[in-house]
Parts: sequence; structure tokens; C-alpha cells
Amino acid sequence: MFGAKHILPKGNPPLESAYDAVLIGGGLHNLATAWFLAKEHNMNRVAVLEKNYIGYGGAGRNTAIVRANQRTQKNIPLYKEALDLWPVLTRELDFNLMFYNCGNLNLLHSEAAVKAARTNIATAKFLGVESHLLDAAETAKRVPALNLSQKITHPIHGAMYHPPGGIVRHDAVVWGLAKGAAEKGVHIHQQTEALGIATKNGRVTGVKTPAGTIYTPRVLVSAGGYTAGLLYHMLKIKMPISVLTIQAMVTQPLKPLLDHVVSSGAYHVYANQTLKGEIATGAHMDPWPNYTTQTTAGYIKHQAEALVELMPCLAGVKFMRSWAGLADMTPDMAPIMDGNDPVEGVYMNCGWGYFGFKSCSATGRYMARFLATGKCPDRLKPFALARFKNHRLMGETAALVNYTPDN
Amino acid sequence: MKRLTSLPTLRVDVGRPVPFVYKNQTGRGFKGDTIATALYAAGVRIFSRSLKYHRPRGLFSLDGESSNTMMTVNGVPNVRTETTLLAEGAMIRDQNAIFTARNDLLGFMDRLDRFMPAGFYYETMHKPASLWPVAAKMVRKAAGLGRIAPDFRFSGACDEMYPAADLCVIGGGPAGMEAALAAADQGLRVILLEARPWLGGSFDYRERGSGEDAPLYRQAADLASRVSTRAAIRVFTRTAMVGGYSDNLVTAVTEGGPDDPFDYRYLEMRPRAVVVATGSRERPLIFENNERPGVMLPDCALRLARTYGILAGREAVFSVGHDLGLEAALDLSELGLPVRAVADVRTKGHDPALVRGLADRRIPFYPGWAAAAVEGKKGVKSVRLASCDGGQYRILTCDLLAAAAGHTPAVEPLSLFCGPLAYDGQTGYFLPRTYPAGVFAAGRIYGLEAPQNIRISGRVAGLDAAAFCGADCRGAADAHRNELAALPMGRPASKWVAFPGPWRKHFVDFDEDVTGKHIRQAVGRGFGVPELIKRFTAAGTGPGQGGISGHNLPLLVAAIKNPSRDRTDIHGTVPAPTTVRPPLRPVFLAAYAGSGREMVKRTPVHDAQAWEGAVFRRVGVWHRARYFSADLDVSEEVDNVRTNVGMLDASTLGCFRIFGPDALSALQRVYAGDMSKIKDGRVKYAAMCNHDGCVIDDGVVIRIGENDYMFTTSTGRAGETVEWIRYHTRFDNWDFHLVNQTDGTGVINLAGPRARDVLERVTDADVSNQAFSFGCWKDFSLSGGIPVRCLRLGFVGELSFELNIPASYMQAAWDMLRKAGSGFGLRPFGVEAQNILRLEKGHVILGQESEQRTNLLDLNMGFLFSRDKDIRPVGADALLQAEKDAGRLTLVGIRMTDSSCVPPDGSILVDDQVVDPVIGYVGTIRKSRALDAVVGMALVERAWTAEGTRLAVYDGGGEPSERHDATVVRMPFYDPEGIRMRM
Repeated sequence: MFGAKHILPKGNPPLESAYDAVLIGGGLHNLATAWFLAKEHNMNRVAVLEKNYIGYGGAGRNTAIVRANQRTQKNIPLYKEALDLWPVLTRELDFNLMFYNCGNLNLLHSEAAVKAARTNIATAKFLGVESHLLDAAETAKRVPALNLSQKITHPIHGAMYHPPGGIVRHDAVVWGLAKGAAEKGVHIHQQTEALGIATKNGRVTGVKTPAGTIYTPRVLVSAGGYTAGLLYHMLKIKMPISVLTIQAMVTQPLKPLLDHVVSSGAYHVYANQTLKGEIATGAHMDPWPNYTTQTTAGYIKHQAEALVELMPCLAGVKFMRSWAGLADMTPDMAPIMDGNDPVEGVYMNCGWGYFGFKSCSATGRYMARFLATGKCPDRLKPFALARFKNHRLMGETAALVNYTPDN
Repeated sequence: MKRLTSLPTLRVDVGRPVPFVYKNQTGRGFKGDTIATALYAAGVRIFSRSLKYHRPRGLFSLDGESSNTMMTVNGVPNVRTETTLLAEGAMIRDQNAIFTARNDLLGFMDRLDRFMPAGFYYETMHKPASLWPVAAKMVRKAAGLGRIAPDFRFSGACDEMYPAADLCVIGGGPAGMEAALAAADQGLRVILLEARPWLGGSFDYRERGSGEDAPLYRQAADLASRVSTRAAIRVFTRTAMVGGYSDNLVTAVTEGGPDDPFDYRYLEMRPRAVVVATGSRERPLIFENNERPGVMLPDCALRLARTYGILAGREAVFSVGHDLGLEAALDLSELGLPVRAVADVRTKGHDPALVRGLADRRIPFYPGWAAAAVEGKKGVKSVRLASCDGGQYRILTCDLLAAAAGHTPAVEPLSLFCGPLAYDGQTGYFLPRTYPAGVFAAGRIYGLEAPQNIRISGRVAGLDAAAFCGADCRGAADAHRNELAALPMGRPASKWVAFPGPWRKHFVDFDEDVTGKHIRQAVGRGFGVPELIKRFTAAGTGPGQGGISGHNLPLLVAAIKNPSRDRTDIHGTVPAPTTVRPPLRPVFLAAYAGSGREMVKRTPVHDAQAWEGAVFRRVGVWHRARYFSADLDVSEEVDNVRTNVGMLDASTLGCFRIFGPDALSALQRVYAGDMSKIKDGRVKYAAMCNHDGCVIDDGVVIRIGENDYMFTTSTGRAGETVEWIRYHTRFDNWDFHLVNQTDGTGVINLAGPRARDVLERVTDADVSNQAFSFGCWKDFSLSGGIPVRCLRLGFVGELSFELNIPASYMQAAWDMLRKAGSGFGLRPFGVEAQNILRLEKGHVILGQESEQRTNLLDLNMGFLFSRDKDIRPVGADALLQAEKDAGRLTLVGIRMTDSSCVPPDGSILVDDQVVDPVIGYVGTIRKSRALDAVVGMALVERAWTAEGTRLAVYDGGGEPSERHDATVVRMPFYDPEGIRMRM
């Protein structure tokens, strides 16, 4: 039962001089892409280059929530496919990704929020994704810890309840995909930085590393918050991306208290209880562009204020650890997935903001198809970079974004 | 248990008993006891059961390094009883055990460890797939430590404090106190934080001195009294530093004592300099069953006796690797604890005086030996000592094993400021690689052990900090630095890791039940560095936050990866420990949340509306009256505006004045329309767009003088507007001033066919339609001299006067109008009534009929965009491009076929015949009494916008096949010619 097989490759495989594809960034999206390239397209001369260790970026810093109750019909099917893939991947990778299907409750604190949720719910249901509107009493029945008082900053009007969602153990996804990809022959090179992308006549020819140039006809850059910077420095491609720090924290472990993922836009807070019992919580981003992963004093305090008002019993619980990651935000909160434009053979997958975890499985599959065939799958076409040049935003957020100089 | 009562170091008051209840039995501690020391004195040895294996756990340390002594106190789970002062009547319960911690029915879990290797859950429980949902439920139940009731309410008082200081010294031991005094001598204002209830650090409980000096506890008392009487030094005891952030931001939490007006107080400060003098702890010794109740750190045993008067056992064995361990053994022996043997992993370099002392007391001393295992299920029965080369061993019976491998610096606070740590071969410590400006350290954190050295290093750090803050004392600092350099270094503690073996019950991390075997398994499976091992095994992720495992984990990794090397010499191969993350100590959310004030703005007539039964809703930072009836049916409010007259408090709208030579240029930049065409006395409706042409704000602009304008914004945008305009004019060097007058300006919208009748009663100004027509503005006074700026607008579609009034006059104006209107049926109306009224007129509310991607053209408001301005306004390029773009959501008016069917706002519009079947959605839709129809506004794809187009509405409630019919109709629905607002 417990073979001593490696999960992560012990040491790096030899860096070959040529690969069919080189994926820059050892996070979830590229590991998933590598897995599907090998599995569904028989392309296993693939290298994943990771400057640090795999899963060191957003993959290991998110709060593990998965769901498919997005807003638009362009987005929902992608997230639904991602959601459906967790049990499949668990089986195919033979690695328990610990998908805990507890459902998500998005709390609604105003008439306007109920209206916005109505659009999401109707769209989701119309596309075959389960989602319901609950009133305040039904909501409290599902989460007895909630404060139903009218005298709080944002009284609870109800919730959008999305039973298919839940949480997945994020590290397990990293390790499972890495193990699966490596078993199929993918080379995962940790502590190996991509220094540049070599091109000739508008086509990619290779990737520069400290150990020399790797020749390849395909490069996928998907390095989370660093992608926009890499694409600019390597190829002078400008991306409409702001990188902001997003923080999260956990409480000490408790016996089961929250049976669902609970989130609140008005309070800027979401919380779920991990299988270990910790309440993992986070929400809004630091409002200034920032490539550090530093936490701030104000944020943990804000988080406590919000949680204590929403769920007063949590006043008697203790925070024990906080951390931060990077969110690469696009103006319309939807990602950028594109390729062969402006450089043939260069693909990009970024701008996921804080949706990168929940989408990685399906995205990896489509990006693999994109790389293998050279043709953009229909599902990804709406996410092309050109939409920003054409002022055609995706509409993933209902609310008017309060534009400030920082975004 | 009888306490030692005559010790000069005692911190409990044995004359002041404090009763408590534990497992329905009354016990008694003393004032000064922590809950754990009181329980220990009462004979409790098993405090809890461990997370995974349900192993019995006892008192191991006194500063909260592990979850061993976490219990439920007064209904609050996970209370660290070893650092929490005993309060009268405390109700104490075990947690994470079935029955009790002493007799836990889940104790058998300990024998199942073979089935729980590192990360076992990743490779089990998922086959067959149907197993996992069941298993996940079981895992959830088994995991977690304490339980909190959903209706639990925290009863304590929480306070906040934001003190100012030049220097914050973290750690009130000898080094910290010396630093504080040295800095205060140089004129600095100092804050000194100490986690324990008293100052003194490691000197506080030690009798011995160094050579001719006074005993350490007396040196500590002397320093403490000097520190406490210095006005420039503010001392915070029971205050643990919990966070350190960029630019010296320090956060800390004080646990209130019996005399404090708070239970917890959050402190936040940004001193110019920080001195970290948090000392060192003992590094746990790893051996078989190294966390059995009865095994504790030597320092813990010593403090139990010296501070609390408790002899921790009847018969003790010591296994140490540092002089303080020898000192503890000798001292406890002198206090009456029989010590059967003392092993020290060091073969040489012991303090000869201590070794002599042991010999004098005939305590067998084993240099080069260490504890290898303890026997006993619920406590220690015997210990096996072995020589470090493994050649010899000896089994000794005892009930207490005081064990530590050496020291580990309490470097966590320093690491928060300094970033990654690296192994220092000299001390065997992990220390920062770099120090940011203004951050200094002192004392035992550097491996100093001789009392004199500790004190001098404190002075050096205090003077360095003072010099950093500008004091002229670099020479003095250097003099002390040289003095310190000339003194002999202390004897280093051991770098011992562990005897070779499978390490099956050798616990590296107590909280998460992580053993040496797990670490080996993790390394074997490719997790080669502590940061990855932490994620795979959970070591260091528990409530103790790496307090037990932090130092040993990287040492073990090095030992596992370099098995052939001498186990005490792995220098150069030791990887960095895991990243330290705040809070350094678990902090109640209540303490962070503080007093919990709701931050909200009220308009000047908030109370007046409340008296009239207003139901308020939060809109951005404001509370606005949304309804004036409890059942939220506002038909009477609506009808009254249509037939009589109503008044709406619109004070929350943004109100700005912009003036100066380039004021017009700035307006031209941010407004889509041409602001140079504003006629005197006329009101111009205008919109702002972003670079995508999407509408972010609308309002009116008027010219109130030469280069002087007033404009309004929506409620939600008021906060951003100044920054928005500054940002978009940042390269122009234009000369203008911009003032946000929102809070100083109240607004009453007096609307309805009788509005003029009401207004004429309170002003002498000519407000007739001839003198003051629709679309104009005018300044005049209400009776009594209240100045108003009145705008004739028509948002709700009736004759209306929008009165801008200085906030201080609002209440008076409101009352005056209310009185004047009593004969005309005047009553207030709320935002929901306004919503219906303006909907009937087809007037848009941004965010309701628009979304983030909706541009000006999509809202059929292209008339607000001027393409021939000199200055290209923000968004112009996008709007020009969008004129050719047919695939956009566009605003239309809709009418439901069935006038009894009112679908909810947000319902979607669908067409199954197309690839993307969701073709739009409803912004706002209401039953209109004026029209006797259900009308609304919707955003829909261009192809469905022609008048008369049939639309299918799906509200998301029932099955997707359940649709309602609607038709695209022309807007406005009500009074399309606009006669009523021009009356």
C-alpha cells in the first residue's frame, strides 16, 4: 500500500537539449498542462521549468476553494469542467486530492447583491450547474454560527448556495499532477530558472536557462503573478495585468463548525474549515501593486473584525498563521489564455487573479490541446489578449469596479 | 502537593488561594499560578490527547511551545493553559478525547501509526471513489482540537492601543532591560514588551551568579526596578509581540490582569528602531517517547520549582546538552528533588563548577550520553540513557525526565523583520542573514550565556538603536562592543540531533504528531527541504507554530540526507528552517477585532427620517433611508410623489467644487461631454467613463463663476473622485483646486406636482416656471436665511427642486419644508420609491442598469459624448471604436406580457436558438401603478434590441424551461414627452 515511490522527483532529471514543449512555471496550471499533454496528446518530451520548488507560488498559497458559480456563460462551463475533473484526476493520478464537496454559500447583504446573485444563479442553472437562492433563515440553518442580527454593518439578506463546490487539498493537486506527469516522462526541473525565450523570424526557437538554451517549438508561460513580467522582459509583450498581494490566514484547529465554504463580498471575507479543522480565511487584496508576499498588520485585524461580526462565536477562536500570495488581476477579472500571437509557438496562461486554483484542471486540459494542435479550442477563444485592445471586457464582475489609480 | 514557600524567586502568593473547577472537582491554585501550574500542583499529569495518535500529553514547557496543555476553559477551546493566568472559578475541561484525557477511548490510535505514514491520506481513502466522502466526514470529526459552540459569545473586553516610541525593545530579560536603559539614557522614548507577567527573563528564576556578582534573580530585580521607574521607558508585561512588519511596524497583545480594565489589548506601534532580545529556549531532545507526560524541558522543571514552588517529580533524570541544563539539575537537587543521573551529550566543555557541584552531591554524571527512550504508558516509569556512540546504556527508574538537546534562539520575532534565516556553525543557531535598518538584537538570541556578556550586549544594542535614532553615542556603543569582544565566549550548547534508528516514536512536532520516521519518509519521497516537508507532514503547522519542531526539523533533514557524517557535525549541509509567519502566538480574533465599531456615515437628517419610520440600508459608507414602511411596499410613497409631493434625502450624493484657471481643462479630461458648452444658470447632465469607455459615474455640472464649477457624483463614487481627477491630470501641470464638499452639503429633493406650492411657502425667491424653468439652477434663501442652491432636475419624472443646503442647516430646512408641506400631502420617500419612479422614466442608475463592461453607447447615452472636444476625454478612443462594434449588451425597456408577473431583478433573458443562449439580463423591473404594467430595463445583445422583440425571461427559481414572456418597448414608460417635470 505504501510503496516508497517518489512523489516529487528526487533531484532533477537531466536537462535535455530539446523538448517538444517547455512550460515556464512549476505551478498548477503548467503541471496540469504537462499531465494532459502526456496523457491525452502523447507528448511527453515536455519540460517544466521552476525557478524555486513546484507549488511554491499561488498553488501553495491559496485557500483551496473550488466552485463553478461564476457569472457569465463564457466562464461557467470552464469552471464546471474543472469541478467535474477532481474525482477524475483523483482516480487517474491515483492520488487523493481530497475534494471535499461541502458546497459554497455566498452571503448576500443587500437588495443589490441579491439581484446580482439572481443573475449568477439563473445563468448557472440554465447551463446545468446547481445553484440556489436562500433566504436569511435558510442560510442560518446551514451555518448556525452566522449572525442574523439587523444591527450589524451588513445584515444578511440571504445567500447563493452552490452545492457542487467545496475545497480541494491544494498541495495534493501539485504533488499528484507532478507525480503523474513525471511518471509519463515529463521532466520537472526545479531550481531551474528560465532566463529568456529565443525567437527567430517571429517563431520561438528555444528557452534560455542557466544550463544553456533548450530548443523547442512551443513555450507556455504560466508562472502566476510573474507571467506578465516574464512576457514583457522576454518578448516585450505588454499585458494589462496588475499584481496585487492577497493574504490569507488560519485559526487553530477546531471540531467541525462550518459545513460549507462561506463567503461575503460586503465584508470582504471568506472562510472554510479545512479537513484538519482550521478555519482558513482571506478575501480582498492589498490595494497597491506589489510583488512581495508580505503580510500586513491591518489585514489580519480587518479579517478578525469582519469574521467576528459575521460569526460572533469566532471571537473565541485564535488566528495562528497568516501568509500572502500574488494575484495577477486583469481589468475584467477574467484570465488571459492565448497563443501564437504575436510570436508563433509562444503561449500564455495568466491573469487568473484569485481564480487560478479552481480552474487549473480544466485549463490544463485545454492548454494542452492548444499546444498540441496549435489551434485555440473554442472554449478558450473568449479569453484572448486582444479583447482588451478591442475594449471588450468579459463581464465577470457585476458590480462597477471602483477604479482607482491602483487598478 | 505542598509548595516550596521560602524561595526568594517565587512568583506565586501562597497566601492567596484561587479556586478552580477541573472535571467537576474543585481545585485550588495560588495567585500567580498559570492554569497549567495549578493543575500540575494538583497532580494532573495528562493535560490533553494528541491530534492524530491520541497520545497522552503533559506539561513540557511554560511558554506555549506546543499544544500539549491546550484545554477548554470557560467554554473557550484551545486555551494555552501554560501561559494563561489562573482566574478565580475557571472551569477547565480536557479536549480531543473521548471520556477524558487520562482515559481516552481513542488511545488505540497510537498503535495504528504503521498505517499512518507521512502523507498517508494522499494515498489512501480514495479507492474506491465512494469511500472518500465517507472517510472525509470521519477525518473531519477526528481532526480539530477544541470545540466551539455556534452560539458561544466572547464575554471579555478588548481594547486597542497605538502608542508612539523611538524604540521598541522586545523581550524584558537582562539584555532587553539593559538596551532599554541605555537607549533611555540617550534620550529615547522606549517601549519594552515582555510576554511573561514580570521582567527578568532567564535571570528571574536563577539563584546562581557569576563569580562575585549578585545572584541573577537579584540582578534582574535591580534592573527591573530601574526600568520601571524610568519615565522614558514604558513597560508592557504579559504582552507578547505577535507581528513584525515592514518599516518596524510591531504588533503585540496584552493579556489583562485582574486589575486591568480589559481582558485583551491589541497594541500596534511603529517605532524608529527595534531591539529584539527574546533570548533562547531549550531545543527539545529527540528520542523514543520524548513527549510522554513526565518528560519536560529542564528549564520547565526549574521554573516550576523556582517560580511556582512545585517540585515536578519524585525522582528525576536529566539529559541535557547545555550548561543551563546542568545548572537546573544541580539547583533542583539542592531544592530537594532527588536526581538519579545527569547525562550530557557533550563530551567536553562543561562548566567545571557545575560538574563539581554534581559530584559534590554524588549525582552520577554521564558526559557523552543522552536519553534514548522512556518507558511508561501514561507517564515516565524509567529512562534508558545511552552513550552517544551507542556502545553502552543504562536503565534508570524515575518519574521525571528533564531533557533538552541544547538551546535554540527565540529568533521568530527577529525573523519577521529580517527575513530568511541561515545556519550559523559557531552557535548552531539559525540567525538572520541581514538586518534591515533600525533593527538590532541582543543577548542569548546570539548564543551568549555568561550573564555579563548578556548584559553588555543589551547595552550595545540600546546604544546602537539610539545612534540610529540620531543620538551621539556611536563611540559608547563601540566601547561596549569592544568590551564584549574581549570577554570569553560562553560554552556552546550541543548540536546533537538524535541516535540513529527508525525514529518511529521520536516526535519532532508534538502538535501534528510528526515523528522522525515521518520526516525520513517525506525526504524519501522527494520532499527534500523543510518548507516542503512542512506541507507534506504538517510539521510546524500546529498551534505551537514550530515552537517544538522549528530548529530540529532542518537538523533532521541534514542528518537524513547525510547519514554517513558525524551526527554532531552537519554544519554546511543544514537547510534553512521554514518561514516564520505571524502571529507568533495564537491571538483571539476578539483581540484583533478590538472594540468593533461600525464605521458608517449618517446624513444630517438621519434621525428625522428614523422618527418617520425609515428603514435604512447601507450604501457604500452611508446609511440611506430605503423604505418608509415596514412591509417594504412603497406604493404609497410612489403614489404620493406622483399625485402630491415627496421629499428625498439625497445628501449622500457626491458634491464637488473645482476652480482655478485650468478647472475646465480638468473637467474636459474626465467628462465624456463638452463642458465648455455649459450655459450660465443651466444644469448639464454628464458622465465619466474609464479607458474602456465604460461608464463609471454620472451627475450634473454647473458653472458657478469664472473658472469655478460645481459637480455631483453618485454616492458610491464620491470617495474616488478626487483621486480619479488628479490621476488623469497628473502629467499636465494644470492649475486647479478640487474640494470634496459631500459631507458638508445636504441635499433634499422636493418632488411632485405640489413641490412648487411647498417651496413658495418657505422662500421669497421667484420659483415660478417662468423665472426658474426646468434644467436651471439658482441660489436663494429659505426663510430664516438658510442659503440653498436649487437645481431643477427631473430624475423621478415630476416637477422637482433639488435643494443643496449646508449640512448644518439641513435639519432646520427639513423641518421647515415638512411643516410647509403638511397641507399639500408632503411626506418623505426613500430610495426604493425613487427607484420605481425613475424606472418609470427610464432613467438609469449605474450599477443597476449597467455593469462593469457597459459603456456610454450601450446605455443609449451617446449624446453625452462629444467627439470634437479639444481635449480627448478619458474613454474617447474606446467609444469611437465601440460605435462600430455590434456585439454588445445594450439597454432596452421591457414590458411583461402578463401584468401580474413581476420577475425578480437579475433574471436572465434567454434564447435557445443561439450558441450563447444567455442573451442578457434584467436590471430593474417593477410593477408600475402609474402605468398599470410591469416594466423594466434590461441589458440585451444588440440583435434583440428592436422594439417589439419578444424576450424569454428566466428567473432562476424553477426549471430552466419555465420562462416568462416580455417585449422590448420604447422608453420612457411614463410621461414620454417629459411634460410633468417641466411644469
